[in-house]
Amino acid sequence: MDILKFKNFSWTYEGFNTPIIKKINLTIKKGEFVGMIGRVGAGRSSLCSSILGLIPHFYPGKFEGNIIVDGVDVETSSLSKLSTIVGLVFQSPTNQLSGAGTTVEEELAFGLENLGIQRHEIIKRVEEMVKLIGLEKFSSRNPFELSGGQQQKVAIASVLIMEPKILVMDEPTAQLDPLGTKLVFDLIKKLASKGITILLNTQNVDQLAEFADRIIIMDKGEIAADGDARSILTDITLLKKYGIEPSQLTTLSYKMKEKKLWNKPLCLTMKDAEEMVCEVMKR
Amino acid sequence: MPRTILISYIERDSLIHKLNPLTKLTALICVIILAFILGPVNNLILFALILPLSYISKLTWDVFKPIRYLLIIFAILFSIQGLFYPFRLTPLYTIPFTNIIIWKEGIIYAAEISARLLVMMVYGFLFVLTTHPGDLVNALRKLKMPYKVGYIVLSTLHVIPSIQMQVETIIDAQKSRGLDVSGNIIKRLRAYVPLLGPLFIGSVQQAVERTMALEARAFSADCEKTSFRQTVFRKRDRNIIIATVIISVTVGVLSWIY
Ligand SMILES: Nc1ncnc2c1ncn2[C@@H]1O[C@H](COP(=O)(O)OP(=O)(O)OP(=O)(O)O)[C@@H](O)[C@H]1O
Ligand SMILES: [Mg+2]
Repeated sequence: MDILKFKNFSWTYEGFNTPIIKKINLTIKKGEFVGMIGRVGAGRSSLCSSILGLIPHFYPGKFEGNIIVDGVDVETSSLSKLSTIVGLVFQSPTNQLSGAGTTVEEELAFGLENLGIQRHEIIKRVEEMVKLIGLEKFSSRNPFELSGGQQQKVAIASVLIMEPKILVMDEPTAQLDPLGTKLVFDLIKKLASKGITILLNTQNVDQLAEFADRIIIMDKGEIAADGDARSILTDITLLKKYGIEPSQLTTLSYKMKEKKLWNKPLCLTMKDAEEMVCEVMKR
Repeated sequence: MPRTILISYIERDSLIHKLNPLTKLTALICVIILAFILGPVNNLILFALILPLSYISKLTWDVFKPIRYLLIIFAILFSIQGLFYPFRLTPLYTIPFTNIIIWKEGIIYAAEISARLLVMMVYGFLFVLTTHPGDLVNALRKLKMPYKVGYIVLSTLHVIPSIQMQVETIIDAQKSRGLDVSGNIIKRLRAYVPLLGPLFIGSVQQAVERTMALEARAFSADCEKTSFRQTVFRKRDRNIIIATVIISVTVGVLSWIY
C-alpha cells in the first residue's frame, strides 16, 4: 500500500525564480524504511517540510504537481489534519519542545491535548511512549533539563504518540554529540523493527547502512538515484559523484579490493565486514 | 553571569497544593484588597497568618525567601518618606549636629506601604509556589480564556531558562573572542550591545522552528481541547471561596467603620 506519493512535484520559494525542487516522482510504501542523502542545499529539508504541508501552508511559494499522503492531498488539506498523518521531527532538540509542559509526560501529551483526545487515552499512550523511548526515570523531569539526545527522543515520541502513518525525520542527529546520536539511532532502529514507515534524512551513512531498506539521493532538487540500500550504498562511484562519503565499512572493503585482498561485493553492514575479515584471515 | 531567580512551583503533597487554582486565586485577590484597606498593624497580623499557611503547604521558609529583595525597597521608602513626606508636621528625630529632621507622618506612611507590600509579596509567593502553572492556565481556560493566550503564558515561563542559557553561550563565545564585560556601568552596557544581534537572530530562528514544531503537533487544530493534567473543583473549594469572601468582607467593613 502506498503511504506517500509525489507526482511531478515542484516547489519555488516566494521571491525566487527557479524551483528548488524539480518535478519529483516518488512513492513510499507502508513499512518501508527510506534513507535520504545528498549534498548541502540539495533540497532535502524542503522535501521533508512538504510532506507535513509546511510547504505550502507555512512557507509561501509556488507549488506544482501533487503530494498525496495516506490518500490525503497535501496542498488542499489543513496542517492540523496533516499532523495526524505525518510525524515530522526537526534538527534542533530544544526548539522542538513546545514549552507547554513542565514534565516529559506533559510534553508528550501536548499533541493529543490539541487533538482533543480523551484524558484516559492520553494517559495510556503517554505511558507507552515513555516506555518506548526508555525515559521512565525521567518522566517527571523538566524536558528543558534533559540532554540533547534525550530531548530528541522526546521530540520523536511527541509526534509518534499521535500515531502518524509515516515518520519523517530531518537530520535528527545533526546537532547532537556522538553519545546523543547513538541514543537517537538506537531508538530509530527500534522503530524500524516495529515496522513503522520512516523517511530519514541524515548525513550518517554508517547508520543508514545498518538498517535502511531503500536509499534516495537528492541532488539539485531532483532525485538523482533511488534503489535498495545495498546497491546504492556500495556504489562508490555513484556516491562520490553526488558528494557523499561512503560508510566506513564500505570504504574499508573498497581499500581491500584495491589491494587485491578482496574480490567479492563491497561490504555494507557489520555482518558483511565480519564475514570479510574471517575469510581474509583464513587465507 | 548569575542565573536570574525564577520563582516557580514547588511540588509538595499538601492541602493547599491540592486546592483548585481558582480557589487560591480568589483568596489571593481578597488578601490583596484587604491589604489596601487595612492599616499597618492589621496588615502585620495578616502577614503573621502566613505562618500557619506556609506550614500547611509544607513549604517552611521558601515563602519568606524573597523578602530580602524587599528590604532594599523598604530602606529607600523609609528614608525618602521620612525626610521628604509632603504633609510633614511632627518632627520625630533630628540627626545630631545637622538640621536633618525625620518626620513622624513620613515614617507612618512608609510603614503603611511596607506592610502592604509585605503582605502582597508573601501571599503572592504562596500562590505561585503552590500552584502548578499548567493547572492555573487550565483553570483559566475553563473560564473561557483563549487557548493560545494560555499557551503564550505557559511557554514564556518555560522558555525563559532556555533563552538565559543562550545568552550565556553567546557571552562565552564573545568573551572568547575578546569581549570585555567588566568596568563601569556604561562600559558594561556598551559591551553587551554586540550580544543583541546574535540573540535577536537566534530568537527569531528559534521562534520559527518552534512554530513549525507546534504545527507538527496539531496546535492549530480546531476542536475542543483536552488536558493531561486534571484540575478538579471540589466541594471544599466552594466552601473555602465562600468562607474567604465572607471573612474578608466582614474584616474590611469592620476596619472601615473603626
Ligand atoms: N525558507 C526559505 N526561503 C528561501 N529559500 C530557502 C528556504 N529554505 C531553503 N531555501 C533554499 O532552498 C534550497 C534547498 O534548501 P534545503 O534546506 O531544502 O536543502 P537541504 O538539502 O536540506 O540542505 P542542508 O544540507 O543545508 O540542510 C537551498 O538553496 C536554500 O538556500
Ligand atoms: Mg536540511
